[in-house]
Amino acid sequence: MADVSSAPRIDLSKAKKKAAQPSNGAAAAAPEGVNEHINRAAVEAVAAQDEPWLRALRLSAWKVYEDTPLPTRKLEEWRYTDVSKLALDRVRLADGLARPATVPAGARALLEGKEAAGTVLQVDGSLVDVRLDEELRQRGVILMDLAEAAREHPDLVREHLATKALPPAAGKFAALNAALWTAGVFVYVPRGVRLEKPIRVARWISEPGVVVFPRTLVIADEGSHLAYVDEFASPDFDEPAVSIGGVEVFAADEADVQYVSLQLWGRGVRHLSAQRTFAERGSNLDSLVVNLGASVARVDLAARLEGPGSRSDMLGLCFGQDGQHFDHNTRQDHVADHATSDLLYKGALYDRAHSVFRGIIKVFPGAQRTDAYQTNRNLLLSTEAGAESLPNLEIQADDVKCSHGATVGQLDEEELFYLMSRGMTHRDAERLVIFGFFNDVLERLPLPGVVEELRAEIERRIH
Amino acid sequence: MPYDETVSNLGLDEYKYHFIDEEKPFFQAQRGLNEQVVRQISENKGEPEWMLDFRLKALEIYNQKPMPTWGADLRGLDETMDQIYFYIRPQEKIGRSWNDVPENIKRTFERLGIPEAEQKVLAGVGAQYESEMVYHSLKKEWTEKGIIFESIEDGLRLYPELFREHFSTVIPPADNKFAALNSAVWSGGSFVYIPKGVKIDTPLQAYFRVNQEQMGQFERTLIIVEDGADAQYIEGCTAPVYSTNSFHSGVIEIIVKDNARFRYVTIQNWSNNMYNLVTQRALVHEHGHMEWLDGNLGSKLTMKYPSCYLVGEGAHGEVLSIAYAGDGQHQDTGGKVVHAAPHTTSQIISKSISKGTGRSSYRGLAKVYDGATRAKSNVACDALLLNETSRTDTFPYIEIDDNTASVGHEASVSKIGDEQLFYLMSRGMSEDEASAMIVRGFIEPISKELPLEYAVELNRLIELEMEGSVG
Repeated sequence: MADVSSAPRIDLSKAKKKAAQPSNGAAAAAPEGVNEHINRAAVEAVAAQDEPWLRALRLSAWKVYEDTPLPTRKLEEWRYTDVSKLALDRVRLADGLARPATVPAGARALLEGKEAAGTVLQVDGSLVDVRLDEELRQRGVILMDLAEAAREHPDLVREHLATKALPPAAGKFAALNAALWTAGVFVYVPRGVRLEKPIRVARWISEPGVVVFPRTLVIADEGSHLAYVDEFASPDFDEPAVSIGGVEVFAADEADVQYVSLQLWGRGVRHLSAQRTFAERGSNLDSLVVNLGASVARVDLAARLEGPGSRSDMLGLCFGQDGQHFDHNTRQDHVADHATSDLLYKGALYDRAHSVFRGIIKVFPGAQRTDAYQTNRNLLLSTEAGAESLPNLEIQADDVKCSHGATVGQLDEEELFYLMSRGMTHRDAERLVIFGFFNDVLERLPLPGVVEELRAEIERRIH
Repeated sequence: MPYDETVSNLGLDEYKYHFIDEEKPFFQAQRGLNEQVVRQISENKGEPEWMLDFRLKALEIYNQKPMPTWGADLRGLDETMDQIYFYIRPQEKIGRSWNDVPENIKRTFERLGIPEAEQKVLAGVGAQYESEMVYHSLKKEWTEKGIIFESIEDGLRLYPELFREHFSTVIPPADNKFAALNSAVWSGGSFVYIPKGVKIDTPLQAYFRVNQEQMGQFERTLIIVEDGADAQYIEGCTAPVYSTNSFHSGVIEIIVKDNARFRYVTIQNWSNNMYNLVTQRALVHEHGHMEWLDGNLGSKLTMKYPSCYLVGEGAHGEVLSIAYAGDGQHQDTGGKVVHAAPHTTSQIISKSISKGTGRSSYRGLAKVYDGATRAKSNVACDALLLNETSRTDTFPYIEIDDNTASVGHEASVSKIGDEQLFYLMSRGMSEDEASAMIVRGFIEPISKELPLEYAVELNRLIELEMEGSVG
């Protein structure tokens, strides 16, 4: 049982003062949309307790952030999502590692009664609780605050954090997260160790008007196994709150890893998350991206098939209501030969909800015998809902099997008719068809507990 | 069917149209583009004032718009644009019979087989040499039915009201940078009018030839198909191979009115030093039916996405696209279908082959606006890669704002299947023979739609062997 009472406090008051009176040219020339609370002094404050290498990393990331223009809809990758929707100008930095006096009940409930090998609870950008099964700890499994891991396991963290998977150069928001992350989570599973239960991480925002920067680094060593579930939740807010996340998951040779991101934020929250999976030789690295909550959610997920024979199953599910806007941007980078990736993203949309899927399979020269597939299916449940689907292929090797498919449509009248002819009401038939639509995704996830939770969440949302 | 062909002797790599005619043009503008060139073009054509104004406004738009960066690599284009001739007028008058056409130009078209095809199978022929149509003729029986088939210049001169009513309504100059360029310097192309209810069973054809080195060709075609009419139009293009780059940027506007049917066929076989950036769009009204059949075999770089805007209830649009990218070629092609009315349907089928260092990219759009209830669209793309260095991409855009729409997209990429090869080779074929047969089979769904029997010179583009199953 580990607590993080040793986590250092960071005083952000200085940063705020500095921001109020910009003294140098750089601040005056700050690009549009940049929040006055987000500045170099804030990065320095967050980095105060860091080792020099980590501080240097944060500051160089900050430089990349400053040098990168805010994306506009003229960029292909942001064509369907206006950055102003993220309301970045209406939030202040959450107070880093200042632990809240009391943990809200909603946050506590997130992990209650759930099967887990280890749990982490984060509230408003602060870690409040980290627990890990004692036996696993003795076998060398690490689950801790990322900043603490950077001090205790510098070699492991330094090699993997914001380097080959999600470097600051990946984009403006990836750079911002690399500069300002707090209360990060670090997981390491040693060679050959297999976790039977998942690691569950829950992140809570208790009030609007803040921006948090969650960061996750998962390393599964050779032949190990783990499932990691990242859950995001909050009450509904009238005012915006923002989460800008960064996730890196590494599977070493022959490792088997499932990464799940459950985005269940309340309304008002803007969710931005850059996720990278990095699969070495013969490893299996699957992901599931669920978007049910938030007002605006933008997920950039890139799976890199780095080692020959690696496999990635990439699943996605979104279910939107009222004015929710989801934007998924996926990559399947086939660098190595004989690797397989199979993507299935499904979305159903009520009301004025809108979803965007942009996915690309990229087969690099020499990545022969690649099998890469990509499927995106969208169900429009109201006349005002809308969906964009852009499944792309870029193939530079000839001995490959690649395909993609995308559909946008409504509930199948014949399926409804069949069920109704069996005595179901129209409403029940519709529920069942929607349920079946998502089930194709869920049944591919080898985590029964998580699948059950998701079924309940979906059921709750079916009108 | 003879079994002695190989992929390389399917004839796709061999360019047979490299012959240059010595000629002295009637008028030649200076190299590069400026307002004076635009004024000279307009003056040479004796145009009304409104057209000169239109051109000058378009030039402004062209100068303002940035070079597109979303697609193929156009970095080499700026240099090319400074060097090329934007306007070359090869002769003073347009010919109504081949005897009116200067001997050297006539010889060129004879070598391309055009006069022969005209006699046999075509309803009308237009031939463009450099910047102007040098020949335009329509068989008498069709003239009598009220069909108009003229050079675009004569269309403007002879039918000013009909022309002005429709011109630039489908593709305004501000649509994209190259539509603006064409609007400023357009020259040549066809003006076609098919009257209400007239059905024409043999195709009209236009042939485009660039002879001069460093030439820019900017033909403009306007086609109006009245209610219930039915016609088909074929265009072919070739040029000699030079060491410097040339540029072709056409604008094709088609209006398909209620219950009309129209098919537009392109067999593009420019030489491998040609930038080919074309905007083709059809506006399809109630229960109209539009088909683009787009074959891209030549050019250095082609960017071309024939579009159907389905604006009338029950309209149907189709794009059948085939692209072949050999060494050093990039075919960035595809199609767009925009559903803006209820019960509209569309289909895009694309097949591409990349060989050597060739790259073929499918880029397309299927869009359904809110209110286009029960729209249906299906897109299917298949790519075949022949070598390790070949490259293919697929960039489809699907934008759906109506929940009653049903839209699907599918694409697959493969190399020639080992099992297919093994099967054919176990029947005694060499690997090359077997590959050639698989390639033919791959493009067959589209090649069988080619009206080969109509256009003799098309046979020389894709060797008959490739069409074995059709021929």
